[in-house]
Amino acid sequence: MESFLSNNAIYIVMIIVLIVWGGIFSYLLSLDKRIKNVEAEIKNGVENEE
Amino acid sequence: MIWKIFLFLLISFVSVAGIAFPIVENPQAWYEFPNIPGLEENAKIIFFHVPTAWLTLIAFLMSTVFSFKYLRNKNLDDDAKAYASAQLGMIFCILATVTGAVWAKFAWGAFWSWDPRQTSIFALLLIYGALFALRSSIESEEKRATLSSVYSMIAFVTVPFFIFIMPRIMKGLHPGSADDTGAGPVINFQMNPSMLLIFILSLIGFTILYLWMWQVSYKSIIFRDKLYKHLIRG
Repeated sequence: MESFLSNNAIYIVMIIVLIVWGGIFSYLLSLDKRIKNVEAEIKNGVENEE
Repeated sequence: MIWKIFLFLLISFVSVAGIAFPIVENPQAWYEFPNIPGLEENAKIIFFHVPTAWLTLIAFLMSTVFSFKYLRNKNLDDDAKAYASAQLGMIFCILATVTGAVWAKFAWGAFWSWDPRQTSIFALLLIYGALFALRSSIESEEKRATLSSVYSMIAFVTVPFFIFIMPRIMKGLHPGSADDTGAGPVINFQMNPSMLLIFILSLIGFTILYLWMWQVSYKSIIFRDKLYKHLIRG
């Protein structure tokens, strides 16, 4: 595996792009969670007012 | 909407170009990159690793600017902007560290060798990690905003030393170190014009991406805080 990667360095670049994408994706997940909480809060608030 | 489509096309182009464009001995066509001895295909990391480090710097800078703004006019929206930016800076700092370590395994022989560049980014991670510990330990909104703004401003003072000065005055493996003979592609821009073009496009693309992520993030924080206040009052 290691010798394959050092002979075909382009796959290391691919792994690095995947890591960057994974980081951005996990950030989006946490953002999505925050917005979902706000959504649930709004729903609760509307129900309470009714 | 236009600039979001532009961002999509830009990042797509940079990803394709950064991975697929060939490295040759004597680049003739516009899409050929020069061969850097000892690095070969490894050199292409510059299109993806350097922008993450660049965004770390930009994000921490914006965090400091908005911390300063908060201290001047005590507007909690500015604190939300500073916090969202610090969060993004932390994410990109971790990404720069991890991508650098994976690359180092194959270019330098080990994931981690306490190169000055690695040591300084590790210190930076610790310094900004403490900001989040500080924030989560304070209940009162105003107090939290004030203290973290002051901390963020002090923390940013160390950033130029850790990113620009220390790795350049000490000997190390990273391009741009004190004993770098100029073979390094980063500092002297010994890339050919096509490599430089893709590199600059990559920096621009990632900067727009950061601005977008930041905007969505701080808007959601401001919106959440306003909603809570509304619910408590209502």
